[in-house]
Amino acid sequence: MTRESDTRRLPPMDEARFRAIVDAYGADEQRWPHAERAAAQAWANAHRSEAHALLETAARLDDWLDRYEVAPATDALHRRIVGRAPVRVASRAHTWWSGAALAGVGLLGGLTGALAVSFFVLSGAPEAIHASSYDATYLTTSFGGSAADWSGQ
Amino acid sequence: MSDREIGRDAGCDPDAELVERVGRRDPAAVRALVERKLPRLLRLAMRMLGDRMEAEDVAQEAFERIWTHAPGWKAGQAKFDTWLHRVALNLCYDRLRAHRETPVDEAPDLPDNAATPAEHMEQRSRAMQIRAALAALPARQREALVLNYYQELSNVEAAALMGISVDALESLLSRARRNLRTLLIERGEGKEER
Repeated sequence: MTRESDTRRLPPMDEARFRAIVDAYGADEQRWPHAERAAAQAWANAHRSEAHALLETAARLDDWLDRYEVAPATDALHRRIVGRAPVRVASRAHTWWSGAALAGVGLLGGLTGALAVSFFVLSGAPEAIHASSYDATYLTTSFGGSAADWSGQ
Repeated sequence: MSDREIGRDAGCDPDAELVERVGRRDPAAVRALVERKLPRLLRLAMRMLGDRMEAEDVAQEAFERIWTHAPGWKAGQAKFDTWLHRVALNLCYDRLRAHRETPVDEAPDLPDNAATPAEHMEQRSRAMQIRAALAALPARQREALVLNYYQELSNVEAAALMGISVDALESLLSRARRNLRTLLIERGEGKEER
């Protein structure tokens, strides 16, 4: 139970006030108003028989009240409530950014590769042409043949 | 009483940080807030209404209000738990007005802690009696008792929430307890003596 200041002008602790406290808050002194708890306890200690009679009556009702338990919330109710809450769609945003980043990296990689191929093609062209003098078939398909093969027919 | 007038002493609101995160739509904060507040809301609504399904509906609607108001929540204007109690109580009163305080006499929804069938019957019987007795109280007496005894709000908090003085709250509590004593103990003893 939280404590907040009781700004009332508190009455003196006597039998009437002790009775009023027990009648309203019950027998458990932890439930008594914080501002009057110590005075009420002191009065009860000083007037044991009167206090005992009042406390016993209140305790019987407290016992009844304490029997009213409420079953905890079901998982289904819990899920229903959480499911209706508007929440950030963090996972989707993450996926979107991740996808975009991957696409960007892929595109960059593709461009780099294309650039590299272009570079080697251009810079290595004389060698390739030179190499063709040893094997001219690299420019033809496997179905190709020399003109000399047909000229005799 | 408006929401803002309730619980102005919110300097050290233990829920403020969590509510602020809920306002930013943080899924973990949503789950944590439901974990923290649902049991308390359900108990409040159940003891005010005496009907499990209606109590669950009230709890669900109260959370809808939280989802709506959390983004604009300003710590320091009101204590969140006090505001939430007011919201839930208003929802309970809407239902009580709709039903015109029809007494509830069906079997209560209880955790079954009884060891034997006889104890089980005794437990259900006692719980049914206390629930019926609470339902028979005038609504304001029941509200005072539920807030102070079951929800464990201080007398100052409960009085502020109900918009009454602490003296008036004490008067409601005394009358509630006197009525319950008559319903549960004195009548019961009368039956046993016959």
